[in-house]
Amino acid sequence: MPSSDSPTAEPSPAEAPAQGKGNAAKQPKGKEAAAPAEGSKLSGAELKKQAKAEKAARRAQALLEKGASAPAAAPTPGQQPKVDGQKGPKGQRQHQRGSSTSVEVKNLPVRGAQKTVPVPVAVEPKKEDKTVEFFRHLYKTRTTSIAGASKDVHPAVLALGLQMSNYTICGSCARLVATLQAFKRVIESYTTPPQNSLSRHLTSHVLSPQIEYLSSCRPLSISMGNAIRWLKLEVSKVDVSVPDAEAKKGLCDAIDVFIRERVTFADQVIARSAADKIKDGDVIMTYAKSSIVQRALVKAHEEGKKFRVIIVDSRPLHEGKHLAAALVRIGMDVKYCLINGLSHNIQDVTKVLLGAHAMMSNGRLFSRIGTALVAMEANEADKPVIVLCETIKFTERVALDSIVHNEIAPADELVIPGGPLEQWGDIKKLQLCNPMYDVTPADYIQMIITESGNVPPTSVPVLHRLGNESQG
Amino acid sequence: MPSLQAGYAPNLGVFLKSLKTAPLESSIENLISLLKRRQIRNSRPCAIATAHLLLRVVAKFRWTDIGNLLERIQEVGQRLVEAQPREMVVGNIVRRVLGMIRDEAKEDRTEDASDSTSTSQLGSPGRERSESGSFRTEGGAPTFSPLRFASTDASTLSEASGDDVFGGRSQPTSRPPLLTSHTSYAVLNGVPVQQSMFNLLSATPTPSSTPPHASSPHGKSTISATTLAQRIATTTRDLKAEVISGIEEIIDELDQVDDQIAAYAQEHIHSNEVILTHSSSLSVQKFLLKAAEKRRFTVIVAESYPNDHEATHAAVTGKVSQDLEGDEMSTETFLKPLSAAGITVILMTDATIFAIMSRVNKVILATHAVIANGGLIAAAGARIIAKAAKVHRTPVIVVSGIYKLSPEYPFEFESLIEYGDPGNIIGYGEGGLVEHMEVDNPVYDYVPPDLVDLYITNLGAHAPSYLYRIVADHYKPEDINFHKPELQF
Repeated sequence: MPSSDSPTAEPSPAEAPAQGKGNAAKQPKGKEAAAPAEGSKLSGAELKKQAKAEKAARRAQALLEKGASAPAAAPTPGQQPKVDGQKGPKGQRQHQRGSSTSVEVKNLPVRGAQKTVPVPVAVEPKKEDKTVEFFRHLYKTRTTSIAGASKDVHPAVLALGLQMSNYTICGSCARLVATLQAFKRVIESYTTPPQNSLSRHLTSHVLSPQIEYLSSCRPLSISMGNAIRWLKLEVSKVDVSVPDAEAKKGLCDAIDVFIRERVTFADQVIARSAADKIKDGDVIMTYAKSSIVQRALVKAHEEGKKFRVIIVDSRPLHEGKHLAAALVRIGMDVKYCLINGLSHNIQDVTKVLLGAHAMMSNGRLFSRIGTALVAMEANEADKPVIVLCETIKFTERVALDSIVHNEIAPADELVIPGGPLEQWGDIKKLQLCNPMYDVTPADYIQMIITESGNVPPTSVPVLHRLGNESQG
Repeated sequence: MPSLQAGYAPNLGVFLKSLKTAPLESSIENLISLLKRRQIRNSRPCAIATAHLLLRVVAKFRWTDIGNLLERIQEVGQRLVEAQPREMVVGNIVRRVLGMIRDEAKEDRTEDASDSTSTSQLGSPGRERSESGSFRTEGGAPTFSPLRFASTDASTLSEASGDDVFGGRSQPTSRPPLLTSHTSYAVLNGVPVQQSMFNLLSATPTPSSTPPHASSPHGKSTISATTLAQRIATTTRDLKAEVISGIEEIIDELDQVDDQIAAYAQEHIHSNEVILTHSSSLSVQKFLLKAAEKRRFTVIVAESYPNDHEATHAAVTGKVSQDLEGDEMSTETFLKPLSAAGITVILMTDATIFAIMSRVNKVILATHAVIANGGLIAAAGARIIAKAAKVHRTPVIVVSGIYKLSPEYPFEFESLIEYGDPGNIIGYGEGGLVEHMEVDNPVYDYVPPDLVDLYITNLGAHAPSYLYRIVADHYKPEDINFHKPELQF
């Protein structure tokens, strides 16, 4: 592609190298922070950049051609790099590509001579909203680099944000724990400015920018929301008279206790009681990867139970593959299939164990996209569906469908490198949609195993209320 | 292997080209190996290849007797079906051809019989022919026409009344005279006739129904012996031409089937609908394109990941991938992607189906094969889609050509499912995983009839419960198990 690209870029030599440098400078930065990024994702991003460069070059050429006919050519090449320079630090916006480029085009003629006015008319139809209509309210741009982050954001949080945005840290609980650990470091490095008290200042001036940054990297999970609400409450309860160091220590200890109680111990309890449910000869089906399901399976295996596991997985994250690898490593009998093999395997299954992103107050399960299909098939085949979920994931929110509340991941994650989809952005009226979660109806769920006991889905609001009351 | 000698990537187009020049037996072997290696796959290419091959078989085969021809086609068909039993269309096309030959032969016999009985009846076969002929062109397929039954009965009845005058051995419901000339000829030459149950039953009373003007069976045979040789020579030539044109009609039908189906599109899709479809299918694409001429709607495409996703992506973006190009697209006119027709196309993964089903108005599925009970075999994942649609009370429409409709009724549906390359799911690069775990990649799904609301075929829209009737229209009961001699009568 670069070879075909270069002749078009030639007419504007000032612009092409600038773009190239931008690429070169941006990439390693992204990589070092992004840790072990997935190959497919990165190359997708690269291709994107290339496509972008190509497009920009094409536009520049079009401008030049226009300019050649009119004497107003001089200002345009000079302006182009300026625009690119602006774009660089702003960071690469993944799915606002269409609109961001069109903004750039729109700006040009306004600043340039009035003679270039016809250009936007020709280019304007290209601007197209690639968002899916009924998910439009959910689109958010994701920050994928630390460039442009507020200076208030703590380095630990910066790193965490990047890890979240490229799914290095993925899963509701893992993100919750990582966030709290990062916040602990934020609190540790915090000093209350003079004429201010910790309880007044910390939340609004220090924690808020961190939270904002994290949610710009990836929308906060419901458990994170619960934990942050709790943390804010803790901070506000700190007595004004308590010295800074003591208050900070108190908060850090509280965070540790919170993690231990609500996650670590809860996981142990849940894993134990889920492992109890597994009998010799069982065939357990699970979907994608849930750390708590993995724990339960491993525990049952360690107890010497003989059972098989069928892991159902789906594109684009293929999380189940990691679970499969982990289980295979300890010598378990694993069968792996994608969602297309679901209905073939459901007949052999005796129990379905599912992880959760959140439990809604109306008893519905909010979990990785595809979970609802597994639960539906299991229900149809009369197989018990058991959800493993810590009470920290319970929420007072309700959901009837998967559209009102969801998270839309960047559509480019669906592109397979080298496949026909690579240039999908150029095809009019074609949209890719990549939601992250779906909502499983409560009737498909037979039991929820929590650290406070095994309950039916109807008891979710009760447990949630009890949990909150005890919390104070 | 013939295909290797040829020295080019074998596919449908190459096969059809080679068919013209290659000797018949090597063509048959060639198709068998292509089917076995899945170099010709999916319903349409298989059907086209089979029909063309059978055309050659009929054209090349020197036959003196309709039974020989049927036997020959059964034999070829059996080999093809054994080569790839899960491509059910191969069997369907063979059955169609067999049924068509039987029809032609029967017509022919009716003609003979009425010839020999009375000159006053000559009008009847001619009329009957024209009627059945016109019926065939309308329906696009030779069928058991009620008209034909009526006229046949009329001729036998009139003959029976002639019998009455002489011997009073009338059997009003039998159709024996139809067979006289052929049976006597066969007996004469000692050639056994391929007899179906129908033939057996009707052939038994032969002596009782020999035409009255023959004084004895011997007399009859001597008379026919002089004239038969020449008569058969002419009739077989006619018959051959008709059988060939019959097969050509089937081939034409295969060409036009998608357009015929698409003609119903605007009855089923209204404006601003959200339509979910799965995988990529020419039939569905044409159907939606036709609807897009008049209406604006949104299409959600589920990509059918490990097996067909590349074809789906290619169909969605309008780029033709390499393997498809030779197989399906080269001969067909290139189809523009739906998005170019002004439809909003949303590509989603298979896992999102449940999440978006609440917004979907209709689900349109393509099929691999349709079974007589109204169930279908479709790309893996179709069953979940149909189930999710059922849960959301969304209607499911299946678009399929009649040629995919198979009379087979398997009692174990798992036997219909084909498993694909697990390397598509977990690449061999991940050796550690591949070695220690089972990876499952079914290519097809069985969708039970209760999950389907409507079938749209080239003959119109039908409820799944009605399909058995269409099966009965298109295949002769004696052909259904042609590939399983042990099940034949």
